[in-house]
Order: sequence, then structure tokens, then C-alpha cells
Amino acid sequence: MSDRPVVKIGIMSFAHMHAYSYAACLKELPDVKFVGVADDVAVRAEDAAGRYGVKVFKSYEDLLESDVEGVIVTSENANHRRHVVLAAQAGKHVMCEKPIATTMQDAEAIVEVAKRSGIKLMTAFPCRYHPAFVRLKQAVNSGELGELLAVKSTNQGQCPGGWFVDKKLSGGGAVIDHTVHLVDLMRYMTGAEPARVYAEIDNRMFGGDFDDTGIITVDFTNGMFATIDASWSRPKSYPFWGNVNMDVVGTGGIARMEMFAQKIDLYSDETGRHTYVYWGDDMDLRLVEAFARCVREDTPPPITGEDGLKALEVALAAYESASLREAINLLE
Amino acid sequence: MQRIAVIGAGTMGRVHSEAYSRIPNAELVAVCDSHAEAAKELASKYGAAAYADVGRLFEDGGFDIVDICTPTNTHLDYIKLAAQAGKHICCEKPLARTTGQAMEAVRVCEEADVTLFPAQVLRWFPEFRKLHDLIKSGAIGDPVEVRTSRCSAYPRGTDDWFADMKRSGGVVLDMIIHDFDWLRWCFGKVRRVYARGLYESGIPHTDYALVTLRFEGGVIAHVEGNWAKAGGFETSVEVAGTKGLLSFASKDSAPITIELKSKEEGKIGVTVPESPTRESPYYLELKHFVNCIEENRKPDVTAEDGMEAVRTGEAALRSISTGQPVALA
Repeated sequence: MSDRPVVKIGIMSFAHMHAYSYAACLKELPDVKFVGVADDVAVRAEDAAGRYGVKVFKSYEDLLESDVEGVIVTSENANHRRHVVLAAQAGKHVMCEKPIATTMQDAEAIVEVAKRSGIKLMTAFPCRYHPAFVRLKQAVNSGELGELLAVKSTNQGQCPGGWFVDKKLSGGGAVIDHTVHLVDLMRYMTGAEPARVYAEIDNRMFGGDFDDTGIITVDFTNGMFATIDASWSRPKSYPFWGNVNMDVVGTGGIARMEMFAQKIDLYSDETGRHTYVYWGDDMDLRLVEAFARCVREDTPPPITGEDGLKALEVALAAYESASLREAINLLE
Repeated sequence: MQRIAVIGAGTMGRVHSEAYSRIPNAELVAVCDSHAEAAKELASKYGAAAYADVGRLFEDGGFDIVDICTPTNTHLDYIKLAAQAGKHICCEKPLARTTGQAMEAVRVCEEADVTLFPAQVLRWFPEFRKLHDLIKSGAIGDPVEVRTSRCSAYPRGTDDWFADMKRSGGVVLDMIIHDFDWLRWCFGKVRRVYARGLYESGIPHTDYALVTLRFEGGVIAHVEGNWAKAGGFETSVEVAGTKGLLSFASKDSAPITIELKSKEEGKIGVTVPESPTRESPYYLELKHFVNCIEENRKPDVTAEDGMEAVRTGEAALRSISTGQPVALA
């Protein structure tokens, strides 16, 4: 067994379903102690604490007053700022769910308070840790693909419902939910920054007061262009929650990544359905491990608050572009 | 019986000639190509007369239909010649290199009272026809978002004409013109076009474009045109609607794959997936055209359809240049 010190981590809010996956990771990681949970919704906190056998704290303040070293903020997007500020003021390190916020003001405030309080702020972009993406990035960075020309990408999912379709809490809909993942992967993979954004966005899939469909085009400072399909276009009958796919086109060839292609087809008379059963690596485990490691070793977080902010900026520019019907220049 | 003269003995000229040779009420009587050898070779295969000079072809006459399979930038000249001679015309896609040329092609054929049929063959591909019919039948409710993809290695035509953007218009005008026409068939008029691509990049034998179309009816379409592949040909279509999702990928639709071991020791063999159908889409397309001429009917694809596809492609090229969307309405 490792004699590394155990890192104590808690979870603030189970509003976002990713909290349950992160909680399972906290339980699984050997050098991590999952201290406990706090939630605005008492019954949700009780339920989660019961599931993972950890303590319920009556309030976020109580959790933050404990000997917890870091917290994972998985509240609704619009509440991230309030919760990160609470944690930062208590001097606790934070991994914040994506998108980092719903407005640039909130995102800047989150980055600023972390800096001022001297805490580590990490944005939860788990896709960086998927082995398929790690291999793709290696192919790009090794020069195998030559000079990068274009990226075609999708993050299409089923509509999650709940607060995700409440603009006040989510900041929009599918576009803010999904765009940030792929923008982050592209920035991380290339080191280039988004320069120009155009988007066609609509709500015709569900007809609700939230966007469910978006095609976002981004020009990057390295001269490549990219499109992102950020949509809730997978029907309820779809065999899986969705996808994260990237085709990278270079002067030397093309690399295609289908992140969740490691699957088995299950046809069940029990459910009357066909589903994909994923058997690839758990990227969330590597994400949570990376957060725990940076706390333990007192190193900078591998994914920063600025990374979260940069990805959000593109999603918000996409909304602006769609309403103005013109491309938005981010570098001006 | 319709007598056919094919102009252009390259890849498409050969494909069309082969199809005409099997259409009962069509007879391939002449093949014309400025490369005399190419004309001779193709003509002799079907017992047709070979011409190297298009003036001579029209002087001699003796045909009812002209089928134009030449590089895109020359289409209008041949359309004019054929219309003046009172011949009906099948013109390989895209109908012309520019919208202005396409409009003129439509006009001269109207004035000469000849049929101008743009060979938008995708409409006779059974998978694309089935997708169209499923969409129209309401199988997925109201269509909302569409993705199409068309990928191949860079085409190598006679004199490498595809590589000359002024002649071919690159992957946007030559390749995904197919998808532009199919999408308009399924979803109606295009309102707005935004595109990024390598049209002006000057990278040799590489072209790639990602185009976003917004239709009058609200549908958003994403169109990939890929001439950057190492080899092989792939298409895919996905249509998401309010009540379901249609998904097609050529790579998952090959009912037969033949794997042959290499006869050379130590060499790896080849695997070739195929998707055979009883009749080729080109045969079905040209049979429809010939029948329409015989029966004096309007073909299912009109000259205006061909022109609108070019208009969409041209808007995409303009958007690539300006970095801003182009409104079409």
C-alpha cells in the first residue's frame, strides 16, 4: 500500500448527475477519503450519503468548516459562483463542474476569488483523460497528422431535462452544456485559442424555452477551423446517452476518435430495447484522481479555472452569433 | 429511340456511356473528346462515332440528346451549343461553375425549348431515396438537425482539372453539391449558409469543408466535404427529428466484403467492402431522363434544381472567403 497521505474531499450539491460518478470515484481511489456531502436539497444529501456511506453535513458551511481539504462543486451551473466563493473563503480547494458558470462575469469572479484565496481551482473536463483522446492528442502533437487543417466534432446527447432545461439555472441548453467539452479538448490538443465563432442554434427538437440544437463553427489561432455539434438530438430510444466524437484533418492524414466506441450491443427482451454497454476506461476516475493529486502534492491543477472560462466564452459567443446571425470575433 | 452524343470521355463520360448502352430506348451514337484517343477508345467500345472536335460533332448531327461530362467550367459553352442545335441535354453536376452561368444555362434552354437535365445522381441512390421517403413519411416527426458527410481521396481527373479551383470549385462545388441538392429535395429552400474550408488555402491535392445550412423551414444542416482521405469512399447521413433519429453510414452498410490473401509471401492482402445493387444509380438516373424525353415529360430533377444547388455551393465558397454567413432568401 502507498504511504501517501490521504486527501479529504467532499461534494457540494448533487444537482448535477456527474456528482454520483465523482462520488463513486472518491470511494474507489485508494488515497482519498470521501468526507461527506452537503446539498441545498436535504433529501438528496441524505440519499447520496446513504449510497456512499459518508457523512451528511447540514449546510455547505458545515462541510467547509470540517477538515475537508477539497470539494467538488456539482450544483446547477448558475450556482457555481456562490458555491466556489464559499469554498474559497473557507480556504478549500475546488473542482468545479463544467460549464464553469453561465456568464463571463461569474466565470471571472470564480477565477478571481480562487486566485485571491490562494486555493486550487480545477474545471471538470473529464474527456481530457479518456485514453482515446490521449492517443488522439499524441497523434496530433507528434506531428503524425502534419499541419492541422480542420476538426469535425460532435457532443450529441439525450435531453437531460430537470434544471438543464431551465435557462436561469443552466444558462441556456444543449449549447452551453456540450460546447465547452469540445472547445476544451481542441484548446488542450493544439495550444491554439478560439478566434472566431459562428453558430446556428434552435429549440425545435422540444420547442421549449431552451436550445436543444446547435452547430457551432470555430476558427482557431493556428489557422484551423472546427465545427461542434452541441445538441440533445439523441432520442429517448437511442441505445446510449450520446457521444463525444472528433475527426481531426491534417496535411498528413485524418484521425477519427469515437470516444465511447468501446461498447457491447445488448438486445434485451426484458426491456424491449437495444442498448450499448460501455466497457472502456472510466475517465471520471482519472479526473478525480488528478484533482486529489494536485491537492496532495500541492501542484497547480492540471485543468484551470481559466480553461473553464475560455471554453465558456465560446459557448456564450455562439449564442451571441446565433442571435446576431453573424460571426463573432473573439480576439478584438 | 433516343440517340445520344456524349461529350467528355473521362470518368463520368465512361459511366454514362456504359449506362446508355444498357438502356433499351437509348443508343450511344457519338463520343466527343478533345483528347482524340480517349474519344476513340470509348466510342469503339460501344460502336459509336468518335469526335475530337465538338464543331464537327454538331455539324454531323444525327443525335437527339447531348450528355455533357466535361470539366465544370466548360458546361455552359456546350449547353449553349446543344441548345442552339435543338438537342435535349443531360449535364453532369454541378450544372455550372457559377450561379450566373447556371442561370444562363437555364435561360438558353428555355428559349430553345429543350430539356436541361442536371445529373444530380444522388436522388437515384437507393439509400438516399429511402432516407428522403422516410423523412417525408414522418418517420422521425419533424426534422430538426441533419448531418451529411461525403469523403474520398482527392479526385484525379484529366489534366488534373479538379485541382484547379477556377475549373472545379473544389470539394464544395464538385462533391457536396450532391448533398446540397439532396438536402433541398428533403427540406426545401436554403435561407443562410456559413462555411469554412480549404478552398483558398493552396494546399495541393487537399480540400476539406464544413458547411452549415439554415433552411427556410428551420432545419439546420451540417455538411462535410472531404477530399483529404488517404483512400476509399464514405458517406453518412443523420437526421434528428422530434420523434426519432435516422442514421446511415456507408461503412456500416456493405453487405459483402471480400478479403483476399496476397499471393506474395509476406505481403498483406486487401479487404474490399462492396454495396451492390441490381441497377446502378447512374443507369436509373439516365433511364428516367431518356424516358422523360421520349414521353415529353418533365424530369424529376429540373434545371432550376441544378441551378439552386450551384447557388448554395457558391454561397458556401463566398462564406469561406468572407468568414461571414451568406443570406440566400
